[in-house]
Amino acid sequence: MIVTIAAHQVQSLRRRRVLAVFLGLVVAMTALAGAIGWSSHRTIVRVYNEAVTLLAAEGKTAPPNPFELKPSLSLLSNMVIYIPLIGALLAMIVGHLSVADDESSGLGRLIFSRRVSRSSYVAGKLAGTAVVIATVLAASLAVSVIALLVANGSLPGEGDLARLAGFYGLSWLYLMLFAVIGMVTVLVMSRRSLALLSALGIWLVITFVVPQVTSGLRPTTSLNPISDPAGTSEAFFRVTNRARPFSISEQYKTAGTQILQIGIGDTTAETLLRVLPIAGLLVCLAFLTAWLVGHHDYSRSTSDG
Amino acid sequence: MDGPVIEMSGVRHRYDDTLEVLRGIDLTIERGEVFGFLGHNGAGKTTAMNILTTLIVPTAGTARACGYDVVEQRREVTGCIGYLPADVRLYGHMTAAENLEFFARLSGVADPRRAVIETLDYLGCADLADRRVGAFSTGMRQRIGIAQAVLHRPKVLFLDEPTAGLDPLGVRQLRETMLRLNQDLAITVFMNTHLLSEVAKVCTTIGVLNHGALVYKDSIAETTRRFPNEASLEDIYALMEATSA
Repeated sequence: MIVTIAAHQVQSLRRRRVLAVFLGLVVAMTALAGAIGWSSHRTIVRVYNEAVTLLAAEGKTAPPNPFELKPSLSLLSNMVIYIPLIGALLAMIVGHLSVADDESSGLGRLIFSRRVSRSSYVAGKLAGTAVVIATVLAASLAVSVIALLVANGSLPGEGDLARLAGFYGLSWLYLMLFAVIGMVTVLVMSRRSLALLSALGIWLVITFVVPQVTSGLRPTTSLNPISDPAGTSEAFFRVTNRARPFSISEQYKTAGTQILQIGIGDTTAETLLRVLPIAGLLVCLAFLTAWLVGHHDYSRSTSDG
Repeated sequence: MDGPVIEMSGVRHRYDDTLEVLRGIDLTIERGEVFGFLGHNGAGKTTAMNILTTLIVPTAGTARACGYDVVEQRREVTGCIGYLPADVRLYGHMTAAENLEFFARLSGVADPRRAVIETLDYLGCADLADRRVGAFSTGMRQRIGIAQAVLHRPKVLFLDEPTAGLDPLGVRQLRETMLRLNQDLAITVFMNTHLLSEVAKVCTTIGVLNHGALVYKDSIAETTRRFPNEASLEDIYALMEATSA
C-alpha cells in the first residue's frame, strides 16, 4: 500500500509538471553555480598567468596558483546558498501538493474508505516525496560533476565524489524538512491558500529571521563577516550564541560548507552535530504529520483551491 | 454472508461540542435492497454514511457493514463496501484509467488493469479511459466515480447525493446503472438523496431521518399502501416531515 501511494504521488507530481519544474530549476541553479565558479576560475587563472609572465620577464618568482590552494569543490560554493533559498521553497510546494488534493477535493474520503491505514498513507506520501527530492538532487549531483569536469579538466576524485554525495545527502534532509512543513500546514490549516501562505511564512522565518536573531547577531559581524574569533562575555550575545543550534538554515550552510571543504574550522564530529538538529526536526515533523493524519477528519473537506 | 448487510444499533454522533447529529439510530438493511435514505439538509444522512464507510467513529452505539463492526473490523468493512461521496472530483490531471487503477490497487484488487477495463466496459464508458478527468462533465465524472466504487465488486454501494448536478439524461443513466449493479452483481445500494422521483423509481426501501432520528423505515410498496391518500412519495415525505417535526 505504501508503494502504491508513493508511486501515485510521483506520477501525480509528474503529470502536473511539478517534477519537471522542480528538476529544471534545481538543475539550472546547479549549472549556474558551476558556471559562476568556472567563470571566476577562468578569470583568476588568466590574470594569474599574465602575472606569472610579467613576473618572469622581471626575473621574479610567481606565487603559487591560488586555485591550487583552494579545494576543488569550491566552484560549487553557491549551491549552499541556492538550496535553502530556491530548493527549500520548491520542496515545500511539493509537500503541499502531496496532501492538499486529498484534503480539499474530497479524495481523502475515497482513499480512507479503502483498505488504507492512516500510517500507510503518511509513509507513502513521505516515501513519494523522498523519491522526488532524491531524483532532483541526483540530477543536480550529475550536473555538479559535469561542471567540475569542465572547470577542472578532469573528473572529481573519489574523495570529492564522496563529499559531493555527503553534501547532497545533507541537502536531501534539508529539503525533506521543508516538504514535510508543506504537508503539516495543509493538515493544520482549514484552507489551502492559508496553508501555502503559512508554509511560506515558516520558510521566511527559518531562512531569514532565525539566522538574524542567532548567528546574525554576533557582535563581530558588524566589523567583519566571519565567525567570531573569540566568545563574547555579554549576556545578550551569550543567549543568542546558545540559540544558534536552532537556526536550521545556519546549521545547513555551515555543515554544507564543511562537507564541501569551503569552510574552515569544524571537525567531522562537529559537522555531524550540525546535521543532528536538521534530522531531529525532520523526524519530529514526520511524526507530527502522522499524528495529524491519524486524527484528521477526512469526512469533511476544505473547498478553496 | 447471512443476515443483514447493514445494521446500526443505538448509533449516536456529535461533532466536537455542537448539537448531536445522530440521536440513537437503529437501522437494518437486508441484502439486495436499494435503500433510499431521505431527510432534510442537516438531518444526519451523510454522517450516518460516514460512519458506515469507516470515515468517522460514532460517539455511541454500534454499526456493522457486511457483518463486520465498522470500528473494530475496519479493514474487513472497507473490503466489502464501495463509496461515492457527493461532489467528488478525483485526480483531474490524470486519466480515468489512471484514477481507477490507483483505487483498484488501494482496494487490493489482484489485477488492477484488468479490473479497470472490465468495469469501464460493464458501465459502458470504456471510451473515457484515456481521457483526463479534469475535462469531464459532471455526468462523465459521476460515471467514473461509480466505476471506482465498484472496481473491487463490493457487497454494498454507498452513494451520497449521486444525482446532484446531473442533467435529466444523466439521472436516468445513473438510475439504470444502479439497477444493473443491484440486479446483475447483487450489490446492495444505500443512497442518500433528495430526489424523491428517483427514489420512487429505484428504491425498494426507504428510511426517513429527521433531526438525527430515524422516524420511518419501510418498503416502497408498504409505504404507498400505508399512505393511500397521498398522491406521490413527495406528499408522503412532506407528511412525515410535518408529523415528526
